[in-house]
Amino acid sequence: MAEVEETIKRIQSQKGVQGIIIVNAEGIPIKSTLDNSSTVQYAGNVHQLLLKARGMVRDIDPQNDLTFLRVRSKKNEIMIAPDKDYFLIVIQNPTE
Amino acid sequence: MFPSDSFCLSLNRESRKIFFGLNICICVFCRRGPLKLGMSKVTQVDFPPRELVSYTKETQTPTQTHHKDDEEEEEDLALTQPALEHQEEKDSQKEEEEAPPHELTEEEKQQILHSEEFVTFFDHSSRIMERALSEQVDVFFDYSGRDLQDKEGESQAGAKLSLNRQFADERWSKHRVVTCLDWSPQYPELLAASYSSNEDAPHEPDGVALVWNMKYKKTTPEYVFHCQHPVYCVNVVGTQNAHNLISISTDGKMCSWSLDMLTTPQDSLELMFKQSKSVAVTSMSFPLGDVNNFVVGSEDGSVYTACRHGSKAGISEMFEGHHGPITGLDCHTAAGPVDFSHLFVTSSFDWTVKLWSTKNNKPLYSFEDNSDYVYDVMWSPTHPALFACVDGVGHLDLWNLNNETEVPTASVTVEGNPALNRVRWAHSGREVAVGDSEGRVHIYDVGEQISVARQDEWTRFVLTLTEINENREDVEELAAQRLAA
Repeated sequence: MAEVEETIKRIQSQKGVQGIIIVNAEGIPIKSTLDNSSTVQYAGNVHQLLLKARGMVRDIDPQNDLTFLRVRSKKNEIMIAPDKDYFLIVIQNPTE
Repeated sequence: MFPSDSFCLSLNRESRKIFFGLNICICVFCRRGPLKLGMSKVTQVDFPPRELVSYTKETQTPTQTHHKDDEEEEEDLALTQPALEHQEEKDSQKEEEEAPPHELTEEEKQQILHSEEFVTFFDHSSRIMERALSEQVDVFFDYSGRDLQDKEGESQAGAKLSLNRQFADERWSKHRVVTCLDWSPQYPELLAASYSSNEDAPHEPDGVALVWNMKYKKTTPEYVFHCQHPVYCVNVVGTQNAHNLISISTDGKMCSWSLDMLTTPQDSLELMFKQSKSVAVTSMSFPLGDVNNFVVGSEDGSVYTACRHGSKAGISEMFEGHHGPITGLDCHTAAGPVDFSHLFVTSSFDWTVKLWSTKNNKPLYSFEDNSDYVYDVMWSPTHPALFACVDGVGHLDLWNLNNETEVPTASVTVEGNPALNRVRWAHSGREVAVGDSEGRVHIYDVGEQISVARQDEWTRFVLTLTEINENREDVEELAAQRLAA
């Protein structure tokens, strides 16, 4: 458990990282470094996007599956590492 | 009743029909006299009525508005609208009902965070995430309209030795000495480093080994291993199928282990010289392709050749030359047209590096450019006349014997002048890893003009060796003459 905390701290200290959120398969946040309202907002939206993205990948090729999702916007980049039961979201401003 | 002028016949549609159908012959009178009109054949033409093509659209799912008239359609529209509104209300009600279960209690969260599957997930995804975070490729960069800045890498293109990166970990490598380095033969970007115990933190494990990855810009180790005893040095000999792990310690014992069973050695050998003196081994090396004969360096400054099996198992010969304990020993490995596997180099506390041949019990040459303890030496795996050595004041020297035997061809000082404990060439021969006494591993790129061996380097080295031998013989002759005189 201490390792998880340490890793989160380490990722948090990387250049430009604004927040880290861990969400379960239903979109409910388990751990977050952001305030509650932002967490809920990100978690809900990312969950929707993830379902769509995964659906799209599987639709084009049923044997394929989504492994990583990066959303690049003008202000920052949202990186999502999905898994069967959980997914890890990291928001980074790469130009910082 | 004949009109004197011409006139126009203008008949309406109905009358024209009759006119054509009846074959009436008309006499038209005009000034010129009566025109003769005759019978003409009449063709009957029928135009079919124009077809009106219309399309109808039907939905497959039965809807209530399907067979209704226009009037009733309007009513239905009014009906469906409230129905939709009703559904929306239901949805929002559902969401509100789901809201309470959305929140997990603290206990549940902690439970999840401790579960094994979560730890597995997190280990895997955080590793990927860290790699992705460290890659700073800016795909949006616009080169036009901006000053082209000289990139640092380009200015060092011609440099002989340039620092590529440094590996250190706050938690695991600080306050520890780098005891051994090894590059992976399978994945050339992976480097394993072993560390001594951390005297400042007695509760931390004594032995630590970290695997570093050159491929990604991530600054944390790929894997961390720890054990209760300090790790000094290990060596794997043999082929992929028949291999052994050989370890040597300062009590003169050499053990050979099978990788399947690391609790007891397969066999062990007491290294003793002339059955009386136990050899305190500090370093060991196997010549290229040999799994039986090997060379060891000891604390008393002598080099011994030995073999593992056979009737003469154990120490065979003693080579004297160094005036202090031997810190590093390496047999020639660069494979090429000429075989130099009888050559090896040694480094010692006596500030020198010496070149030896197993055929000769005196050193062939002594390199005396250093001004401190030389801690390690290693031949380049690709260039036959190139080797690297490191000393206690932060110097990394590369010697190319085909160029110059008096001074190193390239030299660099590590910032802070730490004592450099270990030097290891990468398998490609293009990079050198240096471990220091403060737990840091520095990776240096070696310039092409030094590291890449041309075809004639091997034959040139033969000439170099002949020169060295001739000089040595001259020196020995002079010394013998002086003694005689």
